[in-house]
Amino acid sequence: MSFAMHVPILAIAAPLLGAFSLPLMAKVHHRLRDLWAIIVGAFTVAMIVTLAVQVFGGGIQVYTLGAEAPDATLGPEGFPIRITLVADAMGAFMALISALLGGAALVYALGFAQDGKGKTLSMSLLLLLWAGMLGLKLTGDLFNFFVFLEITTVAACGLIAYRVWESRPPEAAFKTLVMFILGGLMVLLAVALLYGEYGALNMAYLSNQIGGGLIDRMALGLLVGGLLMKAGAVPMHMWAPDAYGEADANTAIVLVANTQAGLYGLLRMLFTLYGGAATPEVGWLITSLGALTVLVTVLMAVVQHRLGRLVAYGAVSQIGYMLLAAGVALVTVGARPEFGQLALQGSVFHMINDAACIGLLFLCVGAVHRATGTGDLRSLGGLAHTERWTSGFFLLGALALAGIPPLNGFASKLMIYQSVFMLSPILAALAVLASILLLAVFVRAFQGAFLGPRQNVVSKPPSPAMLIGMGVLAAVVIAFGLFPDVMVRHVVAPAAEALWTGRDAYMAAVLGG
Amino acid sequence: MRLLTGEGFWSPLVWLALAAGVALLAWALRSRGRQDYKRGTEQETPFLSGEPMPEGVHVGGQHMYWGFVEALRPVIDRLRAFHSGVVSDYVTWLVVMLAVVFLVVMLS
Amino acid sequence: MIGNLPFVAAMVLVVLGLWTLMTRRNLIKLVVGIVLIENGVNLLLVSLGYVRGGVAPIYTYAPEGTPVDIPMVMPTPQALTLTSIVIGVATTALLLTLAVLIHRHRGTLDVRKIRELRG
Repeated sequence: MSFAMHVPILAIAAPLLGAFSLPLMAKVHHRLRDLWAIIVGAFTVAMIVTLAVQVFGGGIQVYTLGAEAPDATLGPEGFPIRITLVADAMGAFMALISALLGGAALVYALGFAQDGKGKTLSMSLLLLLWAGMLGLKLTGDLFNFFVFLEITTVAACGLIAYRVWESRPPEAAFKTLVMFILGGLMVLLAVALLYGEYGALNMAYLSNQIGGGLIDRMALGLLVGGLLMKAGAVPMHMWAPDAYGEADANTAIVLVANTQAGLYGLLRMLFTLYGGAATPEVGWLITSLGALTVLVTVLMAVVQHRLGRLVAYGAVSQIGYMLLAAGVALVTVGARPEFGQLALQGSVFHMINDAACIGLLFLCVGAVHRATGTGDLRSLGGLAHTERWTSGFFLLGALALAGIPPLNGFASKLMIYQSVFMLSPILAALAVLASILLLAVFVRAFQGAFLGPRQNVVSKPPSPAMLIGMGVLAAVVIAFGLFPDVMVRHVVAPAAEALWTGRDAYMAAVLGG
Repeated sequence: MRLLTGEGFWSPLVWLALAAGVALLAWALRSRGRQDYKRGTEQETPFLSGEPMPEGVHVGGQHMYWGFVEALRPVIDRLRAFHSGVVSDYVTWLVVMLAVVFLVVMLS
Repeated sequence: MIGNLPFVAAMVLVVLGLWTLMTRRNLIKLVVGIVLIENGVNLLLVSLGYVRGGVAPIYTYAPEGTPVDIPMVMPTPQALTLTSIVIGVATTALLLTLAVLIHRHRGTLDVRKIRELRG
């Protein structure tokens, strides 16, 4: 019984506890609250990094709740009845993404959110959302998956809507909440169907049993439908720009992580739970939805005039790239050719790259908002004269997102283009076209807001905490851009491998043998 | 130091070295200068699309790619109408997509 | 046939809820539609665990004089349903709060007028 065994549950418990104790700390003093938030955030990040080191070094970590020993997954009759947490390479990779965005958002919120304007609320809901995402990524139990999905739903919509004195945030939150509840109920319906069929909720056990019968397929349809909505695929994406565009900067980047958690859930269901039963047709569906998502959202981004909403459409379009490549991997999962694996690696690598550059862009939008009090491209201009750091970070994030070498977006997009090209040259051409349009969108945003003569009175420069938050993400953008091979070899390839061929290892880790 | 990408490889450091070479070449060309440039004449005044402009004019973000957007106007108008902002429409699209997913899953 | 009635009822509830969401204009009615779907799913969950002629799954409260291998209904779906009901209460409360806020800002509950975010 060493401390290291309990890392998976500590990673979830720390932000959960922090979320509920933060308002109490705020009652004492606001400095105590800030200190507590830093302690909780640092502890969570430390736990996630420890978990990642354990998983990438020593294989899948299993933690059973309520058992005598954390590795006693099976009950007395050799049947997994307890709730398990299973951290494989993919889960640990997603936890790292949430650590990156959650940590950056928390630090940024220290300097960005204002006392008396919901700073305590936003920070505690942020920790709650972080806890929900971590649970979603580490759980090995299907009903727990649903519960954590609902925790993220409530926390995310609370985060969107907490600025109740404005009229748009509650509207965005209502729309998002309706969609999230429906998606969650679809997942619950699928869980109920699978439980009725097999009498179990453990994902490894179910994965062993699922054969592709009628009930299995109905459950698959419900899971794919619900999680595609959560990931923001066109035409179910419409909540996403509304929510990202209206949320605060620090909220928006955690929402991006939350969307990626939905995408992770989709990949987990398709590759691990239904690994033996998913057909190429589902892969084609996801590929075409990905291509549609990329094109539609980029065209919508061209005509936006509010900076936040423009970046929000950019964020949704990146989900399209991930879906596109993941669909290619699904189409080819039966034959397992080289390029299918490459596509999955590209998709997984693009997740963390997108997290870093979209996060950076949203944080810059927040800084612009704070400096000028507006986010409207029609009245902004010339901010680069005074906001040097913000302009630099925005340019960096925009170039990385559009896939300009040598930044990180280029490396993963190159992998996606080449693998999609092997399956269908037309789809690859569409993806490249959308990337060019994306560059145009961000050139327009950068020129409109930052270049030219001064147009706005800059009242508040970004505070040091905000600069640290942006700096962390910018460092990640540059580091992953300059050394993508290191990242891919040591982290991305094992994570993609866990989905591509890791199903048997996943089952063996939980069920034994 | 190479990221294999199926057909070939990608190495940012090699790319940076090449980019530095190109930048050096461009700087060498530029430093030769133009003989007909004269300081203090009207060559220094700003202009926009061939018309003389007073100092301090800003081309706002909404004006860029005007032609592109105008050419795609029918498509973009339809896309904007599609994002109607009514919750019922969002739900309808969710139900439609669920039906499509079910069709694909059941028929495959 | 009669044993399948709960499943049919659950499906009817889900479809009615979706229909409400797609056609009604009042925000409160949308919330009611979501609650209908939730109840449908909960009904499905709880009826999955029912065993014909079974008793409540509590050993110490089993009826007197019954054999040891008496059928008991499955306890897990009931636990799942309880959890799901609690989650449903939380989300419904949040939805109603947001509806109140929207009404305060706009003075209307008509979904077709609450569309500041579009395009």
